[in-house]
Amino acid sequence: MEFNPIKLRKTVLDMAFAGSTVHIACAFSIIELLSVLYKKHLRYRQNDPCDSHRDYFLLSKGHGVMAQYACMRELGWLSDDDISNYFSDGSDLKGLSDSRIPGIEVTSGSLGHGFSVGVGLAMGSKLNETDQKTYVLVGDGEINEGPIWEGALFSSHHGLNNFMVIVDENGFQAMGPTKDIIQMGSIESKFQSFGFDTLVVDGHDEIAIHRAITLLWDSGSTKPKALIAKTIKGKGVSFMENDNSWHYTRLNPDTYKEALLSLNEGNI
Amino acid sequence: MRNALSDALVSMGKKDSNILLLTGDHGYALFDDFRRECPEQYINVGIAEQNMIGVAAGLARSGFRPIVYGLSAFIPIRVLEQIKLDVAHDHLPVIFIGDGAGFVYSHLGTSHQSTEDIACSRVIPNLSVYSPADRFEMAHCMTAAYQENSPVYVRVGKSDVGNVHHSFSKLNRRELIKVKTGSKSKFSFIATGSMVKTAIEVSNKLHSEIDVWSVPFIKPIDRLCVEQICRNSDAIVVFEEHSKYGGLGSLISEIASGSYPVKIFQVAVDDCFSQKCGTYEYLLKEHGLDFETVYRSIKSFLIDL
Repeated sequence: MEFNPIKLRKTVLDMAFAGSTVHIACAFSIIELLSVLYKKHLRYRQNDPCDSHRDYFLLSKGHGVMAQYACMRELGWLSDDDISNYFSDGSDLKGLSDSRIPGIEVTSGSLGHGFSVGVGLAMGSKLNETDQKTYVLVGDGEINEGPIWEGALFSSHHGLNNFMVIVDENGFQAMGPTKDIIQMGSIESKFQSFGFDTLVVDGHDEIAIHRAITLLWDSGSTKPKALIAKTIKGKGVSFMENDNSWHYTRLNPDTYKEALLSLNEGNI
Repeated sequence: MRNALSDALVSMGKKDSNILLLTGDHGYALFDDFRRECPEQYINVGIAEQNMIGVAAGLARSGFRPIVYGLSAFIPIRVLEQIKLDVAHDHLPVIFIGDGAGFVYSHLGTSHQSTEDIACSRVIPNLSVYSPADRFEMAHCMTAAYQENSPVYVRVGKSDVGNVHHSFSKLNRRELIKVKTGSKSKFSFIATGSMVKTAIEVSNKLHSEIDVWSVPFIKPIDRLCVEQICRNSDAIVVFEEHSKYGGLGSLISEIASGSYPVKIFQVAVDDCFSQKCGTYEYLLKEHGLDFETVYRSIKSFLIDL
């Protein structure tokens, strides 16, 4: 399993085209983050996504779920048919995360849920004295939600240093640039002030992501961790990058072909 | 009834170390015994109810048995979506205790009063809804909630109206409990929580030919028993300290309309918020749930039949 970002993005395009779905750009911004997590950090058993000793990965921004489906296909947790039949009547994979799919921990899409569930899992691991880690990936729009900050206070108060939030800071939310809708200021300093160890990283640089996650875990502190990943919404397909209309736009045969071409050009 | 709740929490906590009691900074003296007996199993999550439900879901996934406590205006109302998505969707064994339901916080106004919680909780799939009337039913409900091993909302209303049972034999889960048998019954009273006591008192004053039933298990309800009551009754009065929309009265009507249609009179809260401040008794009167008003309205309902 290489979790090759180009291949993962191609799977996303195939799914989006097959199902005529939206939310392509917000899946593209987290491809490298997921690739590094599955490749280097998450502990799991490939033959059992529900293994009780696994690390937890919660995609709290459920809108990016096609990126996770692409990884799950690499793992063999989803089949080629799952991909090509995306959104067909009676199929299992939905447009937002659903915990009934083995390998997906929470039902999200209503935002601000996965963070607190992750905090509970991290606390459960502490109480059970296991060395399991919990990762929660949130969007920079999602952190408008109040429960994120309730959970941040709680995880810090209880010293949950087995918990890491990864913020996909792509600068956009559903209706436009985050800075125009709710100005969050410095996300890093916010999490710092809530008692987190923090790092900022280029969210498309796999080596840098790997190093940052390792550094955060190795800090030796009792603080929870926050990785702020600077990303590009629509990353990988030139005409989708930073064009927020690709939060909602569906592919047609022409744009699908163009997108594949653009991906392959990036490959060269 | 609150002592029975505290006793149940302590006994559950001591028996099962996976029980964790989570509170959103509410409860105060109610948890003195639990904190003394099971200090490691008590977590004050802070004034952050939405996070509390998510944390409870995560803990339940880790093998724990969270019991989440709050005022019913907040648990379940404020956090309804967290209960739906984080807990009920995945059938996680979390017990929600919503205290002070109805007009218990009569002096504090609408923010702390709760007359919509049964309606809102009973439409969530996988979520059971219990509503004990006295200390016997409270103990019974807590045991049942623990055994259920799935999400349960326990509605705790006015706790000091007195017992409705003199003794209590062990019942099957989900049963309606007959608290008074009419000699030759044509009418039936069905009540839940604080209003069971009122139902008994009104039936005593009216005449003896009235069966009075208490409903601690609102969802799932013993449908067959309700259908039998509908079949055997000329009329039914349903009592609850809850909105007339979506609560026990609605539920009994739903069952009756699909089986043995019978005239049903609802003693419940009209579609309005409290207007004034005052004692619990004062607010019951404002909403027409005090003994005198209830007695008069039922009498005229029965005369008109």
